[in-house]
Amino acid sequence: MKKIMACGVLFVASFQLAAAPVTFNTALPVSKGEGVVRVQAKYLSATDDPGPMNRDLTVKALPVVGVWGVSPRWSLFAIVPLLDKSLKLDTPSGRMKRSVDGLGDVTTLVRYTAYRNDQPGRTFRIAPFAGIEMPTGKDDEQDAFGRLPGALQLGSGAWNPLLGVVMTNQSLKQEWGASASIKLNNEANRFERGDEARLDLSWHRRIWMGGAAGGLPHFMYAGLEGNAIWQGRHRNNGQADPNSGGTTFFLAPTLQYITIHNVIEVAIQLPVIQNLNGSALQQDFIVTLSLRRNI
Amino acid sequence: MKKMIVLIMMIGLWSTPSLAAGTQYNLRVDGLSCPFCAYGIEKKLKRSKGVETVKIDLEKGMVVVQVKEGISFTKAHFKKLVDDAGFTLKSMTEAAP
Repeated sequence: MKKIMACGVLFVASFQLAAAPVTFNTALPVSKGEGVVRVQAKYLSATDDPGPMNRDLTVKALPVVGVWGVSPRWSLFAIVPLLDKSLKLDTPSGRMKRSVDGLGDVTTLVRYTAYRNDQPGRTFRIAPFAGIEMPTGKDDEQDAFGRLPGALQLGSGAWNPLLGVVMTNQSLKQEWGASASIKLNNEANRFERGDEARLDLSWHRRIWMGGAAGGLPHFMYAGLEGNAIWQGRHRNNGQADPNSGGTTFFLAPTLQYITIHNVIEVAIQLPVIQNLNGSALQQDFIVTLSLRRNI
Repeated sequence: MKKMIVLIMMIGLWSTPSLAAGTQYNLRVDGLSCPFCAYGIEKKLKRSKGVETVKIDLEKGMVVVQVKEGISFTKAHFKKLVDDAGFTLKSMTEAAP
């Protein structure tokens, strides 16, 4: 049961914030004293099991992200994920289903705009960020078969710091962004998720503009995002799990409709490279629907 | 005679808005690159007492602020608001009514 899965943690832990790319953060500004809310609906499917258990994993997540502009350079973020995880697998006594749902681990972080170069109709910004994932999700959930494995729990039970930097170059016609970050996972209840490092890239191009008469125009962007994610092996009772962790590279076509008040967006992350350890479960896709709103 | 008085009053009322027009400030703001981001600057400017309308031209990087008659703002005032919104005020001109 230790080798249940290596995925399912990665996509909810990736803090998609109030920003331009769909699958990661941005350096774009949040006005002082103003806020942005982003609600996402995410669906992950992982059914490519290299082992004999024929595992099927689905994770549905509803991360709600709130952002507040503290000053022109400082912004505060809070990511509150609601999770629904379900795993089916073959056992000697038949097909088994294990599932759990509820609040996951809440992440808070601060972002500081360290560099800003504004030109007419364009901006380039670099912003480091730091935060912590808090143990708000239960990490001792049980079902009829006993305690759920660590990777299937809603929370890690630990305080996990994260650190990164993001840069965004946006003009009226196109935008690119890049982000690098790490998350150091700590041990709780004799289980420790593998540390995570990720490199994200995005490129978006405006494909349509409308509604300009008497007000700000509406934009439609098409884009492509890439997420290279590395995760170390989990540790159970101090022992490294050989069937966990590894490297995944996602490519994600995206579509965004942007108005002055809202951004509606969709992305489908496809794992083009999955170099996972042992019999760690491979992912099929992640679909993200998202709404951002200025408040 | 009554009709004449009413007509004169109506003409007077009709012309009031143009007579009462206040100053128009033209702000050149750098860094405005999407409508969603522009909301912050619009909201901040509209909160200033006396501001009637705010129009943003993203392509030109221009923000046009129309204020009520008798109201005036300094460049420092606009600079602070634009900076708080996360953008850069490059220049300001004003057109008197």
